[in-house]
Amino acid sequence: MEESRAGGRNPNQLRPFSCTRNPLERAHGSARWSQGDTIVLAAVYGPKPGTRKGENPEKASIEVVWKPMIGQIGKQEKEYEMTLKRTLQSICLLTVHPNTTTSVILQVVGNDGSLLPCAINACCAALVFAGIPLKHLAVAIGCGVLEDGEVILDTTKAEEQQLKSFAHLVFPNSRKSASSKAPNQKEEDSERGLITSITHGVMSEDDYFSCIERGLAASSRISDFMRTTLQKQAPGDV
Amino acid sequence: MEHQQRWRPTVNEREFIERALQSDLRVDGRRPFDFRRLKILFGREDGSAEVQLGDTRVMGYATAQLVQPYKDRPNEGSLAIFTEFSPMADPAFEPGRPGESAIELGRVIDRGLRESRAVDMESLCVVAGKHVWSIRVDLHILDNGGNLIDAANIAALAALSTFRRPECTVGGEDGQQVTIHDPEVRDPLPLTIHHLPIAVTFAYFGEGNIMVIDPTYKEEAVMGGRMTATINSNGDVCAIQKAGGEGVMSSVIMQCLRIASVKAADITSKIKNEVSTYTSAKALQKVKRLPATVPQKDNVPDVAMKESTDGALERQSTKASSDVRQISKEPLSIVKDNKQEDVEPMSTECNPEVKSKPRFTVGEPDETQGAISPKSLKDAVKPKHKRKKKQHNKN
Repeated sequence: MEESRAGGRNPNQLRPFSCTRNPLERAHGSARWSQGDTIVLAAVYGPKPGTRKGENPEKASIEVVWKPMIGQIGKQEKEYEMTLKRTLQSICLLTVHPNTTTSVILQVVGNDGSLLPCAINACCAALVFAGIPLKHLAVAIGCGVLEDGEVILDTTKAEEQQLKSFAHLVFPNSRKSASSKAPNQKEEDSERGLITSITHGVMSEDDYFSCIERGLAASSRISDFMRTTLQKQAPGDV
Repeated sequence: MEHQQRWRPTVNEREFIERALQSDLRVDGRRPFDFRRLKILFGREDGSAEVQLGDTRVMGYATAQLVQPYKDRPNEGSLAIFTEFSPMADPAFEPGRPGESAIELGRVIDRGLRESRAVDMESLCVVAGKHVWSIRVDLHILDNGGNLIDAANIAALAALSTFRRPECTVGGEDGQQVTIHDPEVRDPLPLTIHHLPIAVTFAYFGEGNIMVIDPTYKEEAVMGGRMTATINSNGDVCAIQKAGGEGVMSSVIMQCLRIASVKAADITSKIKNEVSTYTSAKALQKVKRLPATVPQKDNVPDVAMKESTDGALERQSTKASSDVRQISKEPLSIVKDNKQEDVEPMSTECNPEVKSKPRFTVGEPDETQGAISPKSLKDAVKPKHKRKKKQHNKN
């Protein structure tokens, strides 16, 4: 039953992901994040003066533009923009540059499921590459619930269409303790909290909580990857 | 707030560029009639292409839909070009309404492709008067490094050359019912492209005396006028666009056209080479995916070979610095994951090739075998970073 995932993945296995640092020249920071065949390109233009009407001028504001592959912007894209904006607002230090606007522009290059988590990961990486001050990283994962209550991670498009329900979850990244003693994972995990959760379909409470649990464990893997890749070239850009 | 982002050159920059051009030197070291380096990358899906012309990046994506034809042309399909000037490319571009330059770009490419009948429209007809294929090309400008028209044109051509439309048959009782076949069942068909119209842009400086090809962003801000000539490799002029700017003598224009036809032949051969490399690699993949009772040890060379073709597919050149960064990036991701002990049975593992092949395959014997013994596959299936390094070393 579990082996029947297309591509031979087991339920806890993520697709291979990769992140490219600053592929674009004009943007202040950009990242191309790919999870399997789902690829999103995110670009960040750093703080520009002024905020739009209706935004709080005492804080920085974030503007998100989502560009789908086939050009029409509809309600789905607006929803993604809103989700991203709120997620990014919660990870950025908004009081560092008050009365400014930071623009985040996303372009979908390939869509094979788990599009929103891929986009959030790409945005977070792009913000770091642009040097925007953040409280912590946002690590996103897509989880699906099979009919027998089994949770699968990193759903593809085909899986999402067949599943009864799936969820996109965003967690803050796992903390690394400054001291060298091995961190007690259980305690840390339970304190990490959940930034964003978007669910589709109907799932029971237990299923939802097991999604969160699995997602949390997977997110520590992704956040380790993020930590190494985002850190690597900071001193002196090889 | 909106127009503050438009980049204005300083007086020093302007004078520097103009004075250098008087000695036939360009700021990035090119000669006046040199194009920047052109790289064409293809995506996983048929009909998606990304073109990098120096710093300028444009992504083209071709799709098709069955629609009703125009009343006055019941036998012909249609081709539409949609250009998106994403604010990603330039902070001066605003989301939403396209500006003048976006519309101009769309029109120039449209004229060059559609009105020169580069793509055969009559072969897109399914049922005359009722059903025809309408091809839509979306061009997304990702990075504005200057000369968007040329880059976008090449992206559109690359996308159309690799696009495959689903095959459909007409049947049913009245002979009007159209069934569209799934790409798995019947191979999709390529478009009939008669010729490739290539746009070549010239920028004029210093009262029309000095002209350069393929201006960069800074040169565009300083130039006096611009002209785009769309020419194919046969020397046919498909479109010329010179909208205002400085007056230029007609002899200069003729010279430009001659230069443009030489450049067009050059670029046409490049595009054709890249497209044929891609299509042959894809065809090779299709052959390999046929399920066979292959014992596991034969899997290993298959998968390894798939990778090298895939590497050739996706990374056409390894010299760009962004690729170098990418190479240095990924080893850490996957290497680190391998070294970590799997407390839970999950990993961002390197069954990458086994899994990522299957746009067309689902649950093949190859892949389940791959999942069973990760250790042996890990040795055989080189993770992404090594694959790129292999390519790098080859070159």
